[in-house]
Amino acid sequence: MVLQTALLIGLVIFSVLAILLKDLLKSAISLAAASLLLGIIFFRMNAPYAGVFEISVVAGLITVLFILTIALTGAGHDVRESKLVNWAFPLVFVAFIVIDALVMKSLLGKVPALPSGTEAGAFGDVLWKGRTLDLVGQIAVILAGVFAVLALFRKRDKHD
Amino acid sequence: MTNTWYLYLFFAAALVFAGLLGLLGKRNLIKLFIAIEVIGKGISLFLLSTGFAKASILTAQALVITYIVIEVSLVATALALIINIYRQTKSLDIRNLAKLKG
Repeated sequence: MVLQTALLIGLVIFSVLAILLKDLLKSAISLAAASLLLGIIFFRMNAPYAGVFEISVVAGLITVLFILTIALTGAGHDVRESKLVNWAFPLVFVAFIVIDALVMKSLLGKVPALPSGTEAGAFGDVLWKGRTLDLVGQIAVILAGVFAVLALFRKRDKHD
Repeated sequence: MTNTWYLYLFFAAALVFAGLLGLLGKRNLIKLFIAIEVIGKGISLFLLSTGFAKASILTAQALVITYIVIEVSLVATALALIINIYRQTKSLDIRNLAKLKG
């Protein structure tokens, strides 16, 4: 439990760093580190498939996409961030953490617990038989993403 | 078990709030998208921890994998849009998008 809490604290620290750091490349690497920690947390929660996806796809592929975009756009050095945000962010965030720690438990206690039956079978059964429609949706979303990227990067006609 | 659930939800809420603060305060388009990613991490932690606490980890895993697939598609499309916006405006400042003309 101590290790899990340490991993969760690391996850929040790296995520906050990803938002606060000025250098976009360091931000992207912080986000990858946060994904890696989240993947390890998933492994420790007996969810190896979600952990593998999180580490390989989110920490790997999405970081590569971010770094590619940063390289193609010149990291946006022209953007002036508000100075107010830089010191207000940590203050507001710490205030939220304190409020979160104080009221979260009592608020969640008021949520009525839904009945949950125990699951049977392997993960493959649940994914392929129980969530079949999700898989069809995933295929549709991937196709939509591919067509969107193709449309955005298509070459202009000479007449345009 | 319930205390563990509260702990996970505490951190998931912190992640979502950090992402929302980033969305409100930052002006760089890539930074804004990183904030959206952080919110997504909070949501997937919330989903999986609830499945873990309620003894339905397999369904929660299936949902998280679905979310990750959607996330990849979203990231690819959004980053392609950001690159196109940069080509048009030569800037990643979100305020420049308010000057769009038809």
